[in-house]
Amino acid sequence: MIFTTSAYYILLIPTAILFRIVGPQVRPWICVASGALFFIYFSVTEVGGWLGAACILIFLWEAVISRLYSPRSAWCLVGVAASLCILGIFKYWNFTTGLLSAPFSRNSLVWRGAFLPLGVSFFTFEFIHYAVDRYYGRVERGTLGQYLAFIFFFPTLVAGPIKRFQYFGPGVEQPSTDWPADWNRGITRILVGLAKKFAVADLLTSVTDHLNRADIAAASRGALIVWILAYAWKIYFDFSAYSDIAIGSARLFGIRIPENFDWPYARTNITEFWRRWHRSLWRWLVDYVFVPLGGSRGSRLSVYVNLLSVMLISGLWHGAGLNFIAWGAWHGSLLVIHRLWTDWRPLHEDRTPTFVGLAASWGVTFAAVTLGWALFAMDLPTALFYYRRLILG
Amino acid sequence: MNRLAWIKSLADYLGGAEDLPPAGLSLPASSSWWGLWWGALTIVIVLFCGQASKFIYIDF
Repeated sequence: MIFTTSAYYILLIPTAILFRIVGPQVRPWICVASGALFFIYFSVTEVGGWLGAACILIFLWEAVISRLYSPRSAWCLVGVAASLCILGIFKYWNFTTGLLSAPFSRNSLVWRGAFLPLGVSFFTFEFIHYAVDRYYGRVERGTLGQYLAFIFFFPTLVAGPIKRFQYFGPGVEQPSTDWPADWNRGITRILVGLAKKFAVADLLTSVTDHLNRADIAAASRGALIVWILAYAWKIYFDFSAYSDIAIGSARLFGIRIPENFDWPYARTNITEFWRRWHRSLWRWLVDYVFVPLGGSRGSRLSVYVNLLSVMLISGLWHGAGLNFIAWGAWHGSLLVIHRLWTDWRPLHEDRTPTFVGLAASWGVTFAAVTLGWALFAMDLPTALFYYRRLILG
Repeated sequence: MNRLAWIKSLADYLGGAEDLPPAGLSLPASSSWWGLWWGALTIVIVLFCGQASKFIYIDF
């Protein structure tokens, strides 16, 4: 909920005004104080309770260790390892121990009170970005206030967009001073986000609720297609609405944060789709997984393996479940197929695609992405049952 | 600029994603116009709010 609660706006509006009227040295600390308040309040009321709120100590740890980072320092590697451990324990403990104990009758290592700290999937990725970029000397250290403002900036704390310190850190002390333009754009963006969420995404929920085993078993093929199409639009409007509100909220501060969506469903191939769907995550995966794996260097086979690996990690990041891994494998395979196609038939600059060709490319891309959402929306056995009913009737 | 790109720019501008309107658009940049637009959005929000589903990507 969070962005649709009045508590969020009661915190947002005064904080954004205060941030603009205080001096540059104080601005980062406004972000830190409001971010800490946000984290504690919404942890207690939405996820994890007071134990969840205690996870603010993770930020304290990050504040300390990040000050030790320097180029080629082992502390950067410790920071990356710690972030991965935090993510692994909170998000994947029960999933991993469940898989390992599958041959036995029960999982004796199960964590019964498991919870996710607010925004853990996102803030750990920002921690890793800073540690890696400090290691390679790609980012200045910044002041403690700047870095804390970066990790505590509450409009992006819960679900991104995933920021980069290079752009955010220095800007937090010198935000845009064009109040009228920033507030016009920011308020418009927030209202459009809320309208998209309530009037489209939530409305489609009544259709997508049918994506369960009992309803699938009784449905016609036409209904199955309508339901998955509804899910495709719901997830787009839902997450882009969230991003609109986050980006609009930041704009009220005079701060620009990365865009997440750029009309992804209008794209005519899967690579273009991924460059415009959850863009901040895609860029993170490219910079911190794909490139270190070798990227587009090396043999064609290694490039295909790298693409597949990136999407498998992306799938696992989206959720601790076999269906998410399968969803990642599906998209990885699509990216590999597209790469094979472009390697085989590169598009010459002097050749303009025909309308029919573009329409066919769009249709294939949209159908492939939409079919993939079944793996995202349902657990693996239900998704496979959905495909069986869709194909075999 | 072709027509589709122009429509995209218009939608981005009305959605708050672009700072400037597409070329050739003669919308009045007055606060009353934006007041009307915000009012329309607010009506939509009030009409449809209360369904209370959580965002899919938060704490998935």
